[in-house]
Amino acid sequence: MFSVTPAAVDDREYLVEIRDVHFARGARTILNGISLSIPRGKVTVIMGGSGCGKTTLLNLIGGRLRPNQGQVLVDGLSVPDLNQKALYALRKRMGMLFQTGALLTDLSVFENVGFPLREHTRLPEALLRHVVLMKLQTVGLRGARDLMPAELSGGMARRVALARTIVMEPMMIMYDEPFTGLDPISKGVIAKLIRELNDALGITSIVVSHDVADTLAISDYAYLLGAGHILAQGTPQALAQSTSADVRQFIDGLPDGPVPYTYPARDYVEDLFDGGAR
Amino acid sequence: MKALQLLGGVALDGLERLGRATLFLYEVVSGSWLLVRRFYLLIEQVYAVGVLTLVIILVSGGFVGLVLGLQGYNTLVKFGAADSLGLLVALSLVRELGPVVTALLFAGRAGSALTAEIGLMKATDQLAGMEMMAVNPITRVIAPRFFAGIVSMPLLAALFSAVGIFSGYLIGVGLLGVDVGAFWSQMQNGVDFHNDIMNGVVKSVVFGIVVTGIAVFEGYDAVPTSEGVSRATNRTVVYSSLAVLGLDFIMTALMFK
Repeated sequence: MFSVTPAAVDDREYLVEIRDVHFARGARTILNGISLSIPRGKVTVIMGGSGCGKTTLLNLIGGRLRPNQGQVLVDGLSVPDLNQKALYALRKRMGMLFQTGALLTDLSVFENVGFPLREHTRLPEALLRHVVLMKLQTVGLRGARDLMPAELSGGMARRVALARTIVMEPMMIMYDEPFTGLDPISKGVIAKLIRELNDALGITSIVVSHDVADTLAISDYAYLLGAGHILAQGTPQALAQSTSADVRQFIDGLPDGPVPYTYPARDYVEDLFDGGAR
Repeated sequence: MKALQLLGGVALDGLERLGRATLFLYEVVSGSWLLVRRFYLLIEQVYAVGVLTLVIILVSGGFVGLVLGLQGYNTLVKFGAADSLGLLVALSLVRELGPVVTALLFAGRAGSALTAEIGLMKATDQLAGMEMMAVNPITRVIAPRFFAGIVSMPLLAALFSAVGIFSGYLIGVGLLGVDVGAFWSQMQNGVDFHNDIMNGVVKSVVFGIVVTGIAVFEGYDAVPTSEGVSRATNRTVVYSSLAVLGLDFIMTALMFK
């Protein structure tokens, strides 16, 4: 079996540390005492069914949400305790790729990628153009610089968003469901980009996904989340060979298992012949 | 008992929203420093909020002036006071119709557009994306729009009144035969800069703050779904229209004793 708490905690080895984090939305518990560590310079995957709190976890790391209990450390800084100025300073060093791309719809591709530079730096126009074109070249979309976001396909929009994410040269990128809704070619392109950017720029990558095959193929380490807990963790090979029922159901895509097929309800016969309210 | 509970719930929700709105507007105002450094952000929004609203304001001003001219003449002529038509048109427009009708049209055109735009930016993660790029959306997106509304409203109201007076002149002097000298001189003598024009300007500035404030808050506070944005847009128009009419009564009572 896999251990849930990481053994030794080393600041230099791990960029992100989550310790015993609890998070609830109203009465609904989303994360129930999660601890995990994200190693520097590696691609770490957080997998789990829809609605199991993966995106919440990214929002906690990015400081958009506060945990009810527990610690969230990024590069040694406790994210929930940062004031706005310090939080924004930290966010300049981390990037996040949203599921939709979150491109600004009133700006062209070029201006979208240049947006963080215009907001945070005073680069001369010629230099800004160089930087933007270099980042667009990295994702293979230098020729699409004049298009508007509405003219891009889903895969292209995500690549532009990726170019925008790396334009400030972050230490870490969080990918929120990067493969959802993409065709196989675009999936392959994004997977290749995640791996290459990670290795070439020395970035730490956190990929949140429920796409088993695509994500395990590019990851160095994986966590499996379910019901607010970490169900399993390990290298992709270890997870693929795991015999745990939780892991098998998720990796093999079984409709029934530890995660039940039916939503909890009262007795079927009783429900049908009740005759009363809905 | 249940009704009482419901009433309490509604009142508490309303108070909570009001509190959120106040904090939000405080953040918007304290985030306005960016506009000093990057003035073009404001200019862009004055174009979107103000210039693009010009057509509806000018056309409506024209029609309101025409109607005022006709109705005013019909009433005044019974008392042999048709020469005062200019004064009547000018005072009605500058004191009341200019600021109020402009604010109502502004809420319908610019206010609803602002709410829908900001609500959709929220629904498509654009605001969240900005936050994660360490760009404060309140400073970068909301503040320019809010101040553009405050700048545009009085200008639009002034144009509304000007066009209205001119079309009142066209109908009164051109069609109904009011003496042109009497039309303008009565207006000049009767309209006071301080009591009439400045009070009208104060009204339109207040309406600008209220309408744009409601519009940007509703957009920012919208439930990020298509239904949520549509409801927020709806609320913007309803709340700001009611606020404009209510505030107009209060301000009129205070200003023109």
